[in-house]
Amino acid sequence: MYGEGLVKGLSITLKHFFGKTITEQYPSVRPNLPKRFHGSFYLDNPKCIGCGICANSCPNRVIQLSTIKDENNKKKLASYKMDVQYCLWCGLCVESCPTKAIQFTPEFESATYSRKDILLDLFKPGEATAPSEGAPKEASQAQ
Amino acid sequence: MENKGFILNLGDAIRSWLSLSLTPGLTDALMVVVSFLAILVFVLLNVLLLVLLERKWGGFFQQRPGPNRNGPGGSLQTIADAVKLLAKEEIIPKNVDKPVFKAAGILVFVPALLGLAVIPWGKGMAAVNLNIGLFYFLSVSSVTTIAFLMAGWSSNNKYSLLGGMRAVAQMVSYEIPLVFSLLGVIMLTGSLNFADIIEAQTGMWFIVAQPVAFLIYFIAGIAELNRGPFDSPEGEQEIVAGPLTEYSGMRWALFFLAEYANLIAISGIATTLFLGGWHGPWVDVYPALSFVWFMLKVYCMIFLFMWVRWTLPRVRIDHLMSFGWKFLIPLSLLNIIVTGVGIYLYQAMGW
Repeated sequence: MYGEGLVKGLSITLKHFFGKTITEQYPSVRPNLPKRFHGSFYLDNPKCIGCGICANSCPNRVIQLSTIKDENNKKKLASYKMDVQYCLWCGLCVESCPTKAIQFTPEFESATYSRKDILLDLFKPGEATAPSEGAPKEASQAQ
Repeated sequence: MENKGFILNLGDAIRSWLSLSLTPGLTDALMVVVSFLAILVFVLLNVLLLVLLERKWGGFFQQRPGPNRNGPGGSLQTIADAVKLLAKEEIIPKNVDKPVFKAAGILVFVPALLGLAVIPWGKGMAAVNLNIGLFYFLSVSSVTTIAFLMAGWSSNNKYSLLGGMRAVAQMVSYEIPLVFSLLGVIMLTGSLNFADIIEAQTGMWFIVAQPVAFLIYFIAGIAELNRGPFDSPEGEQEIVAGPLTEYSGMRWALFFLAEYANLIAISGIATTLFLGGWHGPWVDVYPALSFVWFMLKVYCMIFLFMWVRWTLPRVRIDHLMSFGWKFLIPLSLLNIIVTGVGIYLYQAMGW
């Protein structure tokens, strides 16, 4: 039939008219994000062993971390900075972490007013203590 | 004593109050003015409502809520728009033809308002009951064409001129199917008087007798209003806003209010001629209910216009012209021929 597409289109929009709206009222209603959403970053400091695999896997060298050796000659995390303005949110750092220390968070509203506020400092000195006796390897064997 | 219903009783009260101090002739004249003013105020209120309704219904057709921040459900959005437009600076470019530029906005609005005087808004509620009512309406509504040309030409801008030319070409070419589609109805009633046309529809609405004519009138009406799939003159993506490019603030708002007033007028004509006017259940018991039925039918027509606008993509200007001249005009002529033959057979068989 000539003009069949017109009728089909009109019937679809009529159905839409009487149906529900599919938009989210954003600022008052937060979206329901999936579990694997790539938002901001969170470093689980006790789990981090300072291996540096995340920094090596980052395509843009976003992650800058440094380690020190404590009195037992064990490697400890000393600082962990992410210059997120160059981040691609590819997820290679999260995927490659052997202890699953660095994780994504569902936070996506991370716009800031100045460039220096973009730098993420994920190092928390109080928590990042490796087990006082033995290397993490031995700690996992002890478990 | 005939039951005239609430609205007409109000009119009678005003008339008797006026005739206390004035001669009968002056009373009659003033009554026309009063009824026209009432219609004007009512239609302008409706136009303000339509501004919001277009955006809300447009949103619903597209599965989104439309404006919903100002007031409950977005009902105060029109007021927000009006305040914004009043506060805007009206920029008139330097090389514009000033008198023509300023007059174009007013000239777009006037024919719509003039046409509202003859539409029967209810039983006995036309401001003026002309014997050539339909003829008057069609001729007055054609004046909008020159207003668009004035807007486009005076703007001194190639996009506006192009848009104005497109608007004129489109409106002129779709006048013919518009008028021819109504000819079928006129042949069935034998009169141009709106009251007679409505009276002839007491048994059956003319949309049943003339479905093809209704469709042609609908399509030609969309093209006349420069909306829906035929909005090449104001195609935002192509020529900015066509003839309205250089207009800002209240002057621009005037064009849009005129478009909605025209929409109400054209829907009113469609209701009168095809959908049985103010007929409906219980009209003889409560004559004021005829007004309610009329407005309900007008809003059904407006819903149809909006439904088509928010669904269909824009028609290219040469497709538009060829559709009007090569398809709609022959079809409307065919409709007239078939109607004529039908009337003759009807009378010949003595039904």
